[in-house]
Amino acid sequence: MVVLSAARWVRSRLTDRFWRVQEVLKYARHFRGRKNRCYKLAVRSVRRAFVRSTKARREKKRFLRALWITRIEAASLEHGLKYPAFISNLVKSQVELNRKVLADLAIYEPKTFKSLAALAQRRRQEGFLAALGDGKEPEGIFSRIVHHH
Amino acid sequence: VAKTSLSSPPWPEVKLPDPVEEAKYHAEVVRKVNGLISAGHYGRLFAVVHFASKQWKITSEDLIMMDNVLEAECGDRIRMEKVLLVGADDFTLIGRPLLGKDLVRVEATVIEKTESWPKVNMRFWRRHNYQRKKIIANPQTVLRINTIEIYPCLS
Repeated sequence: MVVLSAARWVRSRLTDRFWRVQEVLKYARHFRGRKNRCYKLAVRSVRRAFVRSTKARREKKRFLRALWITRIEAASLEHGLKYPAFISNLVKSQVELNRKVLADLAIYEPKTFKSLAALAQRRRQEGFLAALGDGKEPEGIFSRIVHHH
Repeated sequence: VAKTSLSSPPWPEVKLPDPVEEAKYHAEVVRKVNGLISAGHYGRLFAVVHFASKQWKITSEDLIMMDNVLEAECGDRIRMEKVLLVGADDFTLIGRPLLGKDLVRVEATVIEKTESWPKVNMRFWRRHNYQRKKIIANPQTVLRINTIEIYPCLS
C-alpha cells in the first residue's frame, strides 16, 4: 500500500547534537575560563570574537597606515625634514611611492631613503625660491614636470 | 643696512647651486651610473613595483601573494611593467612616476592559485535578534620573482 504521510507516532530526534556543539566549541578552545568548555558561555564569547574580528579587519588598515606614517616621520627627522614637508615635496616631484613602501625603504634601504630625503629637500628649496623670488628667475631643475605620452 | 631683528626675513636664506656647474655634475653622475650598470658592478637589485593595485618592494627569488585572481596559468612567466624604483647598493633609479620599459625588466612566474583560509564575517546587534554569519574564502595567487634586470640606457 502507498503511504503518503509519515506515521504520527514516529518523532524525529536530534542525533548530531554533539557535532553541532563541537562546531562552536572548536573556536573557543583557546579562551580562558569556563567559556572554553561550557557551550552556553562559549556561544556568547565566540559570537563576540567573530564580530570583533570583522570590525578589526577594517581598523587594521587604519592602524598600519598610522604606523607607517610614524616610521616615515622618524626616518625623515633623522635626515632633517619633517613628515609633511617630505611627503608633499615627494608628491610634487612626481614620485608616487606609498607609505608602506617608504616605511620599508626607511628600514631596509637607508641610502635610498637618504636620497629621497635629499630630493624632497631640494624640491622644497626650489619651491621657496619660486614663491619668494616670483620674478624672471629660471625655474628649478627638480620642479620640472615630466610628461608621459 | 644694519643687522636688526627685522632687517632680514625670519626664514633662512636659501641659495641653489650654480645651474651650469649643476648640469656638469648631473652629466658626470649619469655617466658614472651608466658605466657601473654596463660593467655589471652591482650586487642584488631591489625594485618597487606597482602590481594588483598595490606597491611591492621586491628582490629576485621573492615570493609574493596577492588577494585576487590572475588570468594566467600556473607556470606562466609574467613581466611586470609598472616599476617605480630600482636600486642596488651604490645607486638608485627613481622613476617620476614610472621608469621606462627599456630600462628595467622584472620577470615573475605564477606558482600557485589557491583560496585563503575561511574567514568569518559576522554581524550582531544585541537585543534585536539579528545575527548574520558568512564564511569568505578569497582566491589568492602566489608569484615568484625570477629576475630584475637593468640596461644601461640612461641619458
